[in-house]
Amino acid sequence: MILHPTVIANLLAVYISSGMVLYAVYYGVQIVRHWDIQSGHELQLVLERKTYLISTLLSYVFGLQLLSLFLFIFTADSLTPLFVGAMCAAGTLNVDAFGYPTLVLKIFNFILAGLWLVLNYADNQGYDYPLIKKKYLLLAFIAPFIILEAILESAYFLGMEADVITSCCGSLFSSERKTGIGSEIASMPALTMMWVFYGAMLCTLASGIFFYLKGLGGYLYAALSLLTFIVSLVSIVSFISLYIYELPTHHCPFCIIMEEYHYLGYLLYILLFGAVVSGIGVAALIPFRQVESLQFMLSGFLRKLAMTSVILYAAFTAFVTYEIVSSSLVIAYEVVY
Amino acid sequence: MIELVKVKKVFNAGNPSEFSALNSINLLIEENQVTVLKGPSGSGKTTLLSIVGCMSRPTAGRVKLQGREITSLPERFLTDIRRKTFGFIFQQPNLIKGISVLDNVMLPAYPLGEKRLHLKTKAMKGLAELNIANKAASKVEWLSGGEAQRASIVRALINDPHIIIADEPTAHLDTKLSYRFMEIIEKFKAEGKTVIITSHDPLVYESSMVDRVVKLRDGQIEGEQA
Repeated sequence: MILHPTVIANLLAVYISSGMVLYAVYYGVQIVRHWDIQSGHELQLVLERKTYLISTLLSYVFGLQLLSLFLFIFTADSLTPLFVGAMCAAGTLNVDAFGYPTLVLKIFNFILAGLWLVLNYADNQGYDYPLIKKKYLLLAFIAPFIILEAILESAYFLGMEADVITSCCGSLFSSERKTGIGSEIASMPALTMMWVFYGAMLCTLASGIFFYLKGLGGYLYAALSLLTFIVSLVSIVSFISLYIYELPTHHCPFCIIMEEYHYLGYLLYILLFGAVVSGIGVAALIPFRQVESLQFMLSGFLRKLAMTSVILYAAFTAFVTYEIVSSSLVIAYEVVY
Repeated sequence: MIELVKVKKVFNAGNPSEFSALNSINLLIEENQVTVLKGPSGSGKTTLLSIVGCMSRPTAGRVKLQGREITSLPERFLTDIRRKTFGFIFQQPNLIKGISVLDNVMLPAYPLGEKRLHLKTKAMKGLAELNIANKAASKVEWLSGGEAQRASIVRALINDPHIIIADEPTAHLDTKLSYRFMEIIEKFKAEGKTVIITSHDPLVYESSMVDRVVKLRDGQIEGEQA
């Protein structure tokens, strides 16, 4: 293990999250099994009081979960000088077998945590806890992933050895290497990906605005939102990074979080992750539009969620477009370097 | 109408100091009536009143207000009901020192966002009705006991509640002021308000305007006084 402050912070965050989630799941199971709002039984009243504590606690835990993704990336980036060959977070994540799986799981958990927060917010707006069982069932689904994340992250940080020779991002995200998902994405034709990115984004924004105005097509927007999220991540590796670095061969999705690039990556990823969570959140809440206690607020909240997602995607696209337009790099014809 | 179904309140549950203040109370309080909860100290009057007024939650049982179950409501909804439905008059006036009578009276209405001018007019009208309009600008420290009590009544009415809850309101008043207080209660009744009073003062529960006296002892309803 490397005793670096950020490593300790990461491990503390993940252990606190896991502990709190386990505590919440214990009561969540009781709520799912015994909840009966019609009953005046002592247990029901205890559960009603407990749910305040649990949902408040989980709001902070999942808030921490959202932040921990960026803390994890920041940590990977800040540990770079300790590993031979590492030039950015890409190399640090590659020092053992647990780095990238942890990152993928953290992204997955980010989305799940975001969805739980959306569900919890909606539930808190109703006077009769309309989504209480649903949100604790979702918690029971999320909990194993949070625990798995804690295990993987522990294995990653605790197994870290200094002076390990690792690969640099130029190697991991190289269009010449042709093996590994990073290189495969980097090998995608940049101009084609650019068309796909702008096409997907246009459809998503149009669908989101349509939902905001008419209240129709919520599921379509959520699906497009998820699709655009994936397309955007691929696009960052495929062509957006090229314009930011102004290098036709540098596809790294991590160097953009460095000081040399004004930490632009953090901004892009925050916009992107915020957009997908609020976008998918629309689909998560649509089935509950007919719930009596949510009828008046939910359609307004869904519209706000969709608009938030649209604004975040639009901001992401605007920043990306600005980088492309202001970049010295010109990809005039299709060449795979 | 307020309905209490099997309401139970236990303090310090599970501890050696566990105390059961209310034991399975079933009670129906009709609208537009003056109901007095009578009983010795420790009988559970104030606990019952605090549960009815949404200031605390029962350990078990339910409370229904106009047919709507309110004990399960999340805190933010309960706060809203508390503000708009209930007006509280306590043993002590509980006025905030250092600010004027008018400010004290208007305070409970601030969270509702009513325009200050409109609020001030309403508060001044309330103070005038209880003959203390001339004290509006005075600091509460300068008020006599009776004036402070009346100021607290105006404060309880500022959000125009349907239900007035008074906990031992005459405990610190002399006979003359107690009679004056009961006259005010009669006025509330005439206005269609529901009044619930806890008291062991005969001047209150033997008053002609009281519709019903519920006797409490050891956390249970002992019976009703005709």
